[in-house]
Parts: sequence; C-alpha cells; structure tokens
Amino acid sequence: MAEAHAVAHDDPNIGVTGLDHRKLGMWAFLGSECMFFGSLIGTYLSYKGKSINGPGPHEILNIPLTSVSAFVLLMSSLLMVLALAAVQRNDMKWAKVWLFMTALFGSGFVGFQCFEFTHFVHLGLTLHTNLFGTTFFVLTGFHGAHVTGGVIWLLSLWVLALRGKLGPQDSLKVEICGLYWHFVDIVWIAIFTLVYLIP
Amino acid sequence: MDASHSQAPSHGHEEGHASVGTYIKVAMVLAIVTAVEIGALYIPGLPPHFLVGFLIVMSILKFALVVAFFMHLYYDSKLLTALFVGPLTIACAIILALMALFGSYILLQRG
Repeated sequence: MAEAHAVAHDDPNIGVTGLDHRKLGMWAFLGSECMFFGSLIGTYLSYKGKSINGPGPHEILNIPLTSVSAFVLLMSSLLMVLALAAVQRNDMKWAKVWLFMTALFGSGFVGFQCFEFTHFVHLGLTLHTNLFGTTFFVLTGFHGAHVTGGVIWLLSLWVLALRGKLGPQDSLKVEICGLYWHFVDIVWIAIFTLVYLIP
Repeated sequence: MDASHSQAPSHGHEEGHASVGTYIKVAMVLAIVTAVEIGALYIPGLPPHFLVGFLIVMSILKFALVVAFFMHLYYDSKLLTALFVGPLTIACAIILALMALFGSYILLQRG
C-alpha cells in the first residue's frame, strides 16, 4: 500500500490501484457502453420477427456485402495494434502509416454502412416502416456513429504524429484510442452474428 | 512509465503486451473464423439449432480473442478485467431478460 502511494506521488495519473486513471476511466466507460449496446441488441432481438409488415431481414439484408465490411473492420483492429506497437518502439514512420490505414479502413466501414442504409431506404425500409426498421437502424446507426467518432479520434492522433507531437511517451494516448477502436470492433462481431448471420 | 506498461516482458511479450507476431496470428485466426462462419451459412441441410449455436460460439471466440490480445486484457491488471466483464455480464443478462419477457428465443423456439 505504501509503495502504491509512493507511485501515486511520483505520477499524478497513477492512483492507489497502481493503474493509470485514464486507462481505468476508459475501461469503466467501455463497461457502460457494453450495457448501452446490450440494451439495443436486446431490443432488436426481442422484436425480431414481430413486424406486421415488410420488408423483413431475410428480404433485405445483403450478407456478402456486410461480410466484406465486417472483415474490413476486423482487420482495422490489427492495424490499430500495429500502430500502437510502432509508437511504443518509437518507429513513428510506421506509426503514421498504421494510424492512417486504421482510419481509412474505419472510413471504409462507414462508407459500406452509408451505402447499405441508402439502399435499404430505396427498398422501402426506413426508421418508421416497421419494428425491424426501427430496431435495426437504431442499433446499427449508433454503432456507425461510434465508428465515425473513432475515425475522427484516429485522424487526430495521425495529425499529431505528422506534426511531430506524438512519441513513445504518448503511447498511452494511442493505447486508449485503441481500446475504444477494438471495442467498436467487438460490438460489430456481436451485431454481425446476431443481426446478419443468424437466420 | 505508466502502470500498464510496467510489467516485465515475459513469454515473448513487449512491454507486457503481445508481440507483433502474436497480433498477426490472432488476426489470421479471426479472419479464418469469420470465413468459416460465413461458409457455414451456405452448407445445405445444416440443422438450424446447430447453425445458431455454432455461430454464437464462433462469435464468442472472436470477441474473446480481440479482448484478450488486441485490448491486452490477458496481460493487464485483473481489476480492468473485472471492470469490463462485470458490465458485460449485466449486458448479457439484460439481453436474455428482454428476450424472455418478449418471448423471443433464437435457440429454443416456444412450442
């Protein structure tokens, strides 16, 4: 305990737990996000198959297209950890490349989602059409908004790196951004299976 | 050096995290599992209950791999694991409770 207090005096970001407040805070935030998305997924599944008019999921969901976008988001997680590893070993050239590529893959995912939403609206499915439309757009829309926020965060780090204001001493900033990014990825793993793949 | 990076490198980890090689292996497993999941949809005659169970198990595997290795929870403090797994358990309970309340079952259909 005394050692933990000594550490706390050395670095104002380290508390009695011996962990950085910023990282602890991010994990607490991600815990609350689990419950947020849990409620949205639970609502979608509760109303699944209860729409009284079409179109329904089996008529409208494009699994091959969404599989590509899911794969893109999954691989962006690999690029994110490569960016973190590059920052930690002070390889800023590759850190910039991986950060930009992660943001690019994230933007690609958002682009796929915009295309999908537009296509569904043209097919007659909107937020007001039926229970499926309401729960589907709210769930995937909130996820897409989270991905968009993540892309903006990644681009901010990339700009900092370009301006020489990001170094190995800032690796925790990249790690915390990475935690958020991986979280949106695991939420999509759940959504992809429960909404798209399960018949 | 922050606490999260203070663990001594062990088992080939860098700064208490996985190595780049481990990251690439995990990504390959994730890609293969995703391909298997999608492939399973196109196998004719697969019992629906088996397919649903298989897809859920595969997604739990992918979820666990990302959390453990990409989010470094496998190497980090147990307090962080508790901080994440606690609310995740509540979230799963919320999903199951809502489905039970609304009579929606994806594995066992109401007879």
